[in-house]
Amino acid sequence: MRTIAFLFALLFMSSASVFAQNQIKGKITDSKDGSPLTGISVKVKGTNNGVTTASDGSFTISTPKMEETFEISGVGFLGKTVKGASGKDLQVSLDVDTKSLSEVIVTALGITRSKNTLPYAATTIKGDDVNQTRNSNVISNLSGKVAGLDIKQTNSMGGSTNVMLRGFKSLSGNNQALFVIDGVPFDNSNNNTADQTTGRGGFDYGSAAADINPDDVESISILKGAAASALYGSRGFNGVILINTKKGKKGFNVTVNSGITHNSILKNTFPTYQKKYGQGYGFYYGPNEDSNFNEADINGDGIPDLVTPLTEDASYGGRFDAGKLVYQWSSFDPSSPNFGKALPWVAAANDPTTFLEKPLSFNNSVFLEAGNDKGSYALGYTRSNEKGLLPNSFLDKDLVNFTATYKLNDKFTAGASANYSDISGKGRYGTGYDGANGLNPMTSFRQWWSVATDVQELKDAYFRNKQNITWNPASRNNITTPIYWDNVYFTRYENYETDNRKRLFGNMSLNYKPVSWLNILGRVALDTYDEIQEERKAVTSVGVPFYRRFNRRYTETNYDLLGTSDFDLTSDLNLKALAGTNIRVQSTASIDVITNGGLGLPRLYVLSNSINTPLPPVEFEGTRRIEGYFAGATLTYKNTYILDGTIRRDRSSTLPDGKNVYYYPSVSAGIVFSELVKPEWMNYGKVRINYAEVGGDAPLYSTKDTYVHDIDANSGSEVSTFNGNSLFSVSNTKNNLQLQPERTKSFEAGLEMTFFKSRFGFDATFYSAKTIDQIIPLTVSSATGFSRKFVNSGIIQNRGFELSLNGAPVRTTNFSWDINVNWTRNRNKVLELYDGVDNIILGDFQGSLTTNATQGEAYGTIHGTDFIYTNGQKTVGSNGRYLKTGTNNVTIGNINPDWTGGITNKFSYKGFSASFLIDIKKGGDVFSTDLYYGLATGLYPETAGNNDLGNPLRAQLADGGGIVREGVTEDGKTNTIRVSASNYGAYGYRFAPDKAFIYDAGYVKLREASIGYSFPKNMFGNGMIKGIDLSLVGRNLWIIHKNLPYADPEEGFSSGNLQGIQTGAYPSVRAIGFNVKIKL
Amino acid sequence: MKRILYSVLLSGLFLVSCKKNITDLNLNPKQPDNVTAASLYANASINLSDVLASPNVNTNIFRLLSQQWAETTYPDETNYDLDGRSIPDRWFTEFYRDVIKDLSQAAVLLENEKLIPPIMTDAQFKNKKAAIEILTVFSYYHLVTTFGNIPFTEALNVDKTQPKYDDAATIYAKLITDLDAALAKITPAASGFGSADIILDGDMANWKMFGNSLKMRMGMLIADSDPAKASAMVLAAAPNVVSSNSENLQMHFLSSPPNTNPIWEDLVQSGRYDFVGSNTLVNKMKSLNDPRVPLFFDLDESGGYSGGIYGAANSYSSFSAPTVTITEPTYPLTFFSYSEMEFLKAEAVARGIAVGGTTEEHYNNAIDASIEEWGGTATEALAYRTQPTVKYTTAAGTYKEKIGVQSWIALYNRGYDAWTQWRRLDYPELLPPPDGIFANGETPGVPVRYTYPVVEQNLNKANYNAASAAIGKDRVTQKLWFDKF
Repeated sequence: MRTIAFLFALLFMSSASVFAQNQIKGKITDSKDGSPLTGISVKVKGTNNGVTTASDGSFTISTPKMEETFEISGVGFLGKTVKGASGKDLQVSLDVDTKSLSEVIVTALGITRSKNTLPYAATTIKGDDVNQTRNSNVISNLSGKVAGLDIKQTNSMGGSTNVMLRGFKSLSGNNQALFVIDGVPFDNSNNNTADQTTGRGGFDYGSAAADINPDDVESISILKGAAASALYGSRGFNGVILINTKKGKKGFNVTVNSGITHNSILKNTFPTYQKKYGQGYGFYYGPNEDSNFNEADINGDGIPDLVTPLTEDASYGGRFDAGKLVYQWSSFDPSSPNFGKALPWVAAANDPTTFLEKPLSFNNSVFLEAGNDKGSYALGYTRSNEKGLLPNSFLDKDLVNFTATYKLNDKFTAGASANYSDISGKGRYGTGYDGANGLNPMTSFRQWWSVATDVQELKDAYFRNKQNITWNPASRNNITTPIYWDNVYFTRYENYETDNRKRLFGNMSLNYKPVSWLNILGRVALDTYDEIQEERKAVTSVGVPFYRRFNRRYTETNYDLLGTSDFDLTSDLNLKALAGTNIRVQSTASIDVITNGGLGLPRLYVLSNSINTPLPPVEFEGTRRIEGYFAGATLTYKNTYILDGTIRRDRSSTLPDGKNVYYYPSVSAGIVFSELVKPEWMNYGKVRINYAEVGGDAPLYSTKDTYVHDIDANSGSEVSTFNGNSLFSVSNTKNNLQLQPERTKSFEAGLEMTFFKSRFGFDATFYSAKTIDQIIPLTVSSATGFSRKFVNSGIIQNRGFELSLNGAPVRTTNFSWDINVNWTRNRNKVLELYDGVDNIILGDFQGSLTTNATQGEAYGTIHGTDFIYTNGQKTVGSNGRYLKTGTNNVTIGNINPDWTGGITNKFSYKGFSASFLIDIKKGGDVFSTDLYYGLATGLYPETAGNNDLGNPLRAQLADGGGIVREGVTEDGKTNTIRVSASNYGAYGYRFAPDKAFIYDAGYVKLREASIGYSFPKNMFGNGMIKGIDLSLVGRNLWIIHKNLPYADPEEGFSSGNLQGIQTGAYPSVRAIGFNVKIKL
Repeated sequence: MKRILYSVLLSGLFLVSCKKNITDLNLNPKQPDNVTAASLYANASINLSDVLASPNVNTNIFRLLSQQWAETTYPDETNYDLDGRSIPDRWFTEFYRDVIKDLSQAAVLLENEKLIPPIMTDAQFKNKKAAIEILTVFSYYHLVTTFGNIPFTEALNVDKTQPKYDDAATIYAKLITDLDAALAKITPAASGFGSADIILDGDMANWKMFGNSLKMRMGMLIADSDPAKASAMVLAAAPNVVSSNSENLQMHFLSSPPNTNPIWEDLVQSGRYDFVGSNTLVNKMKSLNDPRVPLFFDLDESGGYSGGIYGAANSYSSFSAPTVTITEPTYPLTFFSYSEMEFLKAEAVARGIAVGGTTEEHYNNAIDASIEEWGGTATEALAYRTQPTVKYTTAAGTYKEKIGVQSWIALYNRGYDAWTQWRRLDYPELLPPPDGIFANGETPGVPVRYTYPVVEQNLNKANYNAASAAIGKDRVTQKLWFDKF
């Protein structure tokens, strides 16, 4: 808080007036302990003449009169109006303002405003609240803490984080909130491939906001509505997350953090396996193709032996029987102790849970802050070493931050900051369903697996010779040639990726304050990174071995010139005005190349090791430039009535000439009614209302048509020639030279109040936003010759209600209890799509499943096949299996939750503190591809129990096995047809519609809990150490309630618009950490 | 010093702000806005060849539907689960977007190129045009015979994002007219697309043969539904169709990826073992002592030839896998073969269409041609076809059954053609797997069409519903207009 105050002071510090005749001196102290207060504003009432207190709390102000009335105010303290006179030292003590809402808040373009008089919704989170769990991803730590903010992080190591404010606004474009660090936009794009985001395999390289150093965060402001973010232009329309970094404090402070985190899985987000039946698909094997086993004379005694059907990746095989001896995969591994032995037919002692490690991650940081009257600096270094749950995975981050400001003279302040991050990953998790590559072990563990396979034996089999000896070989004679699945250890240790991103983010600024009420800021900011991603597939793996490298460079430069003024027009009327210009240039260049046809020498990963000449790399180069001019003004009357307006004009390079200039306004009003009526019980009350429009430009290269090369499905390379003949194709996307800017119109109204000496308070907001004329690559019938067509069309409406409640039920000298509750309900609706079009496909997935935007429905409905219902009951056909709809366009789910909420409780008793956060999501649907296949292949206990007759359901029908599906036959009578469940597919995808695999995605999670202890200050005396804090923190500790079996309902492929589908889902990671913080 | 710093900062701001035509930034430096007609034509030809040659379970499952192959671990397609991975979508999209669209744009560019030096002769122009048009007809032929009613008059018009579906028989009639018009444009002596013609290497005489062979096939397709038209077409085309194995019209793939034989990609390069010969085909061939068994299939692990149970999960090593011949990277795609043409002629004669010769002569020629095409000898062929079970006069059944069974064998690895031949002739008798899934709620039956794409159901719903009603119902067992029996 004081740091903010200091910042405030720096920004608004005015030089002594040249007209001064009399000097009035004084000192401001804290009423509680008499300590001097720095950065407190002392202003002559009714004028702009003011100063701020120095580090010892003293001030000197020159006034034309001998005696003046001063308004004394400071952030975090209750203001006072006192009289002072020349020659008399003015001694003023201020009371701490316990109203949590009376903070200053950093708003658009880094302008600091008092939250009391802010006419739009904004929430501030303190740095401590996001970095105390020591999770190296700041963003995911916001989950459950802010009304209207929807955070979803994938469970893969370093996976991307979906950050959405107030729902999906764009049909197909970016719905991610904009990140801004110290007034400068920070790229958070996710560059995962289209295949990755639709669950077709690939690595989740995370979103770039993961480069932010949690320990450098002073506070985070969340600007939810368009009015708050209109000044950021197009990118602000999804809301803005403003991160304010530490700027250095007076004096010299050093903070050292050292933490260790233990990660493990939440067991109920991982499969529980049936332990009754082993490898196989059913009764398909043996000499008569009616047995669970193959037969061959392995030991040469002339009698056929039982052999596991090794090529089968399912658990619908023979019933386990320890007395039965069967030749299994390890019996054919010459290096195995089991070689040549028939083994008891039993379930594996070590199932796939033993594949997942319980790694320790480390996080250490040092922060230096120093400052004096002239300036300040902060220097920080953080190193985190994170290890994933999968073997051979890590993510190392080195983050260096430096920020400095220096007062050149009374009028000029120069500032610069540089943040350098170097992030290296190895062995990121394969995601989704990549049948050909098998890089996601979860796809195997959840869908295609033999419960007879002992994972620890696989580990030994790999490490003995580092060969791909697998449980699923093409034949028993060739145990190192997998048919569908590599040895999962081989996958992790041989087919790993590596990546590195080096990023420089920084700015130089110069602040000019010619007169006390005017401030001019010039700033140049740069955000640039180079990244490389290298992927490998080793020789002998399933599919084609390869080496791929992808290099990308991203650069964003922002040039800002910003004038702000703060002027009291009369003693009651204050005008804050701003005007400025911003030029943003973003450019990306990338090159992607892969070997062709395999690798010559095993384990050599260079392009020259390609068997065939590599195809030409896929190149991309693009630049976007937006020039903006903006102005705004805020009138505040008697600190009670607030009127705020902004206007911005943008010109973008991505729109056609003549249509690339667009204007958009915002207007907001607020009344602090607690200034008008002042009942005892109410401390503060404000109503606010605002309307804003934000314009948006088009994606790069969406106006003019070009020809392209087709992409080879096997390698992802461009197919550019055939036998020396050049090849080109009409692009799959039809561009549009008539595109015009898209627009979001939003309305918001809110009420904020605090009561009972600020012990209780709430902030309630209703909002409604419509995005119109959207620039969308409309999915079209491919009979048009295209898959997509860029159009300006579509209206999405998001309406919602956000509520935050703050309470301090107990507050005594030694003990306090604080509660924060937030609740959000967003309803979105697709109002209009395109001329005659009532549905567009957002993504298509396995199972002929699509996610859609359908006119009149919520954005993100899941379409697929449904049951056929007779009198509301599921209908079974004449074969005893469920009937399904004849078409795949039936709405079977909706990915949007009914509501979300979070409850934080904080307790403190003397040096102890404790807190926990419960994060709740109600409703929303998810389709589990894992169960769609995994139930069919018999991995789960549901498929291996007893039937209504008390017999094993997998027994042959003749032996009393089989199942009777719950439902009715077509004539409406209760179904009594018993069908075989002895072969794969009795459950799962083959005989059930997609609807059977739709689950409620709601959850109640104990997201965070922490216990901290701060050693008492007096313990350290005047020694070097000023304080020691210990904390024990946990993240994702417990899923209190969920409806999706064996998985985390939050898990998805990636950030972006394609949510609501799971395949090869990773389990939730429970992190428990211990941290020591030492202040020097 | 400070002053310099300020002025640098400020002037920097103004310098960057003075950019006039920022729209130029939106021109993609890595993609051309103009190309040659030949490059589009060649691209379309590759895509067409790929989709027809492919055994990929996501696109082309006709080797499975015609029961030439069975599946090993994942018998989804042989149980007629077309939805699981949206198989019809890819087939539909490949033709419309990746073949026909490129062909139609090639035709547009060709008109422009006509005016730009070096000027091509009128004969060259017409030859190129003819090649484009024949491939377009050939592509639509596949779509209309796969789905039935399809978008046609409103297809390829991006302004019509929801194209209506036209009547299949009407489209078919138009395709025949278009084919005749294209054939009339050909000057065999002049050149066409030259080396960019990756199918026939710019040989216009071969294009004439391609067009006529297509006409022959298209004519026979409607022999039951429109015998008069079929007869006229077959009579007109017969003298100009492929007339020896050396004339077989084939596209030759290259030895290195990505322009390799798709069978090699899916069966060898992928490292997968998804397919074995089907018991339906292998048992039939074995019962006829067919010399092509070892030419089509490898030995199983017990040293014999056996087919996997159609529709069941099969162990790869227990059964005979497809032979390495067809899995070579350069193994060609056959569009039209001598054997196929002789079977069509045999059938034509049997139906009373006087293309010359007798049914038996053509039948014998067809069998000989097939065996020789697969590397067998004339002696083997003679021994084979003189067995009473094969010999035309003594083999079981009607001409439909005799020709149906033999052409089904001869069209091995040409899944689509074999499946279509079966749909027309209804022989050999193919049975659905015993515990087949009720795809789309329908009682299992061997598919006689693909259902419409899931994308069409979702994006083009009204027209989809209309088309579905017009053909009867959108189900795999819905017979198409030509499929009278």
